[in-house]
Amino acid sequence: MKVFLWRAAVLVAAILIWEAAAAPLNPILYIRPSSLPGAFVRMWRVPELPPLSEHLWLTLREILVAFGLAIAAGLWLGFLLGLRRSIGRIYEPLLAALYAIPSVVWYPSLMLFFGLGPASKIAFGFLLGFFPIVLAVLAGIRQVPAPLVTVAVSMGARPAAVFRKVMLPAMASTMVGGLRAGLALSVVGVLVGEVLGARSGLGYVINYAYGLLMTAEYGVLVVLVAGAVLAIDGAGALLEARVRRWAG
Amino acid sequence: MGRLAVIGWQALSLAGLVLIWQAAGRWGWVDPLFVPTPAQVASALVGTAGEALPRLGDTVLKAVIGYGLAVTLGVTAGLLIGSRRMLHDVAMPYVVALYGIPKILILPWIALIFGLGLSTAVLNAALFAFFPVVLMVAAGTRDVDPTLITVATSMGATRWQIGRKVLLPAVLPSVLAGMRIGMVFAMLGVLLAEMFAGNRGMGFFMQRLAVAFKAPELFAATAVVSVLSIAVVLSLEHLNQRLGRWR
Repeated sequence: MKVFLWRAAVLVAAILIWEAAAAPLNPILYIRPSSLPGAFVRMWRVPELPPLSEHLWLTLREILVAFGLAIAAGLWLGFLLGLRRSIGRIYEPLLAALYAIPSVVWYPSLMLFFGLGPASKIAFGFLLGFFPIVLAVLAGIRQVPAPLVTVAVSMGARPAAVFRKVMLPAMASTMVGGLRAGLALSVVGVLVGEVLGARSGLGYVINYAYGLLMTAEYGVLVVLVAGAVLAIDGAGALLEARVRRWAG
Repeated sequence: MGRLAVIGWQALSLAGLVLIWQAAGRWGWVDPLFVPTPAQVASALVGTAGEALPRLGDTVLKAVIGYGLAVTLGVTAGLLIGSRRMLHDVAMPYVVALYGIPKILILPWIALIFGLGLSTAVLNAALFAFFPVVLMVAAGTRDVDPTLITVATSMGATRWQIGRKVLLPAVLPSVLAGMRIGMVFAMLGVLLAEMFAGNRGMGFFMQRLAVAFKAPELFAATAVVSVLSIAVVLSLEHLNQRLGRWR
C-alpha cells in the first residue's frame, strides 16, 4: 500500500516539476502537461491534421500483418534450427551475429525495395519481431528435459503426442515471452518506419503534427500511442503469467 | 560435428549465398535497380570508402559518447535501484514502462529542441541505451546472495572489502551484459537520429543513398555498419568471457 502511494507521488511530482519547469519556457518547444487536455479536445476537429481513425486503423493492420509473418517465420525457423541439431549448430551463431546489428540499418534498404507505402513498414516490423521469436523457440527447446522425451518415446508416444504433451508445456512460457517481445518490436518497427518516411499511419501523423509545430497535439499523440503500447504489453504480460501457471 | 566442421559449413553457406546472389543479379532474376550484385557492392564499397569512413567515424563518436553517458548513469541507477528495496519497488514499474515505450515517439521532440547536430544523436543514443542497462544491472544487483555479505561482515570485512571482493564479482556479469546490450542500443539510437534529423553521419548517408536509389552504395554502407557492430559485440563478449575467468 505504502509502495503504491509512493509510486503515485512520484508520478504526480514528475508532472508538477515538468509543469513548473516548462512554464517560463517557450510553449512550442517545452510542452506543458496542462496543455495536453485542451489539445486532445482540439485535435479531433482541426482540419490541419489528417483524420486519425483511418491512420490508426492502417497502423494496426500493418502491425498485425508484420507480427503474423514474424510468428510464422520465427516458429518455422526456430523449430527447424532447434530440432535439427546439426543445422542449428551451423546457423545459430550466424543468426546471433545478425541480432547484434542495430536493426535500423536495414530500414533504408527496405525503403528502397518496398517504397514509402505500408509494405516497407510491414517488412521492418516483421524483421524486428522475427528475431526474439526465433531465439525464444531455440531457448525453449533447450529447456525441454531430454529424459522426459526419451521416456515418452520409449513408452510408445507418437511424435505429435511428444510434441504436444512433453515439449510444448516445457517450452510454453519461454515461447510466450518471446512472442510478447516480438510483438513489442513489431510495433516499434512499424512506428519507426512510419516516422522515418511515410505518407500515412500514426507515425506519419505524429511527424506531421510535429512538422506543423503543433507540439501540444504531438504530445497528446505520443502519450496516447505510448499508453496503447503499454496496455498491449500489459495484456501480453497477463497472458504470459497465465501460460506460466498452466505449464506449471 | 567438430568445431572446424561447423565453421567450414558456415563459410560454405555464406559463400554459397553470395554465389546465388551474384547469379541472381547476373541472369536477371532480380531487378538490378533494387538488388545489386555482390560484385557491384564490392566495387561500391571501394568507391564510397572515402566518403563513408569519416561519416562512420562521426557516427561511432556520437555512439561512444551516448554510450558512455548511458552506461555511467545506467550502472549507477541500476546499482541503487537493485540494492534498496523500497526504491526498487517504487521505481521499477516506471523503469519497465519507460523501457517499453517506443523511444522513436520522443525523437521528433528531441530533434526540435536540440537541432540537427551532435547533441540530438548523443541524447537519443543515451536514451536508447540507458533503460536496458538499468534493468540488467538492477536485476543482477538484486540477485546477489545476501548471505555472502552477512558472512563477509561477520568475518570482519570492511565495507570497502565487501564492495571489492563480494559485490563487484557478483554484480560484474550483469553489468557487462548490460554494457553489451547498451552498445547495440546506442548505435541504434545514433543511426535512427541521423536518419530522422541529421545532416552528417552514417544514418544520414544511408538514408540519402536510399532516396537517391543508389543500391550498391547503400548495400556497401549497410555491410560496413553491420560488420562493425558485429565486431564490437563479439569483442565485448570475448572480454566478458575473460573477465569470467578472472572471477
